[in-house]
Amino acid sequence: MRRLIRTIHLVLGLLSGIFIVVLGATGSILAFEPQIDNLLHRDLSYVTPAGPAVSLVEIGNAVSRKYEGEGIVAFLPSTSPHVPAEVILSRGIVSVNPYTGQVLGLRTRGQSFLGLVRALHERLASGDVGKSILKWSAIAMLFSLLSGLYLWWPGRDLRIHGAWGSTKFWYDLHQTIGIFSLVPLFVLAATGAMIGFKDQAALLLGKISPPPTVYARQAENRVQPEAGAQITPDRAVQIACSRLSGAIVYRVQMPRYGGRYLVNLLNPSDRIAGERNSVSIDPWTGSVLSVAQGTDLSFRERVEAWNEAIHTGDVFGITSRTIVAAASILVTIQVVTGWIIWLRRSHLLSSCKSKRALP
Amino acid sequence: MKSMIALCMILASAAVAADVSGKWTGTFKVNGGDHNVPQLFILQQQGKKLTGSGGPNEGEQYPIENGTNDGGRVRFQLTTGEWKFAYDLKQTGEDGLEGDLKLENVNDSRTAAVSLRRLK
Repeated sequence: MRRLIRTIHLVLGLLSGIFIVVLGATGSILAFEPQIDNLLHRDLSYVTPAGPAVSLVEIGNAVSRKYEGEGIVAFLPSTSPHVPAEVILSRGIVSVNPYTGQVLGLRTRGQSFLGLVRALHERLASGDVGKSILKWSAIAMLFSLLSGLYLWWPGRDLRIHGAWGSTKFWYDLHQTIGIFSLVPLFVLAATGAMIGFKDQAALLLGKISPPPTVYARQAENRVQPEAGAQITPDRAVQIACSRLSGAIVYRVQMPRYGGRYLVNLLNPSDRIAGERNSVSIDPWTGSVLSVAQGTDLSFRERVEAWNEAIHTGDVFGITSRTIVAAASILVTIQVVTGWIIWLRRSHLLSSCKSKRALP
Repeated sequence: MKSMIALCMILASAAVAADVSGKWTGTFKVNGGDHNVPQLFILQQQGKKLTGSGGPNEGEQYPIENGTNDGGRVRFQLTTGEWKFAYDLKQTGEDGLEGDLKLENVNDSRTAAVSLRRLK
């Protein structure tokens, strides 16, 4: 039995190891994706607080002057004193100082370093095939962890005995890291597998694909154009805030894009579904067409939101992000030490055999 | 005889490059994505210029930008928010449009295959 488990552990490591290395290396970067993104775009990511913020209309006017009247798709108001407001245009996303209305610059669309890292992590920077390989690699990782635990259990040793660089050293290091990182790695592999097998997980959770209801609701509430001026985005924000008090507005979609004002609000006390609040507003009358709240999520949606928050490290903020990053680095070390042990042992075996073959 | 064949070819290409004004429906699935996304376009063609709107349904529509129909090659863009959609389609008969979609945001770029049918 032990020999069989060892063989399974080895085969899984050899087959999926390279993909687990990709998942680990990219995952350690993605754990701090927002922070890295801000560092890479320093000039567009920070402002110095200076008095009250200007209105969205003023921000919109400043952007329209700079970009020759290009239509504003949405505003992303500042949610923190040191963070600029952003305005989405067709050509990209414009950062604006919310205290002065000064345009800080434009980020154009297209693949970036972080985008490539995410693409590698989610689908090996390819399509359906890459995605399938990665989701099965997550399953392989789960079995590797369990089989590793089984193999470690009889001795239950957590010390490194071997001399630096010896096969014993790599073996002990592999065991020690494996046991210390077992729980976070198991959680990462399980949550990653659930993301990979999202449809199957939804079936298991017993509820399948509610998204069409959202479309149906929007179609029912279609706005009929009327004579007169539309309300301003600032007025739309006021109306939305009156419906969801205590929430912070983080996005205002303009009515030309989608047929109504769609105001998204953040509930800071809810790390899991805090961003899933929105108020849809008729741009001519200012009447509220629909309200969606994070608390309205179905059981399946809530489980999926929790799963994603755990996997990304969002669940407990910077602490859980750090754990995710550390575990992601450790899993790459696990794979590499596993390979070293295998190479050393196969080399030893072959040299033993060749010695035996000597006359 | 040669001129007849040439005339037939010109007429045939003109028939394929028919006016695309009207409602078009279909789906796309991003390569490596989870689901088929519904699409509904309301197109208006004047000469080569294409205007109108598109979105997941009739209630949620986004304006079409930089739209052209050049000899049956239909190209247009729309911005739904963080994502910009760039369609590059070819007419397949009078009632079909097929081709590629490129989706871009500030960090990412994805592709999808698109197939649309004219609603009658």
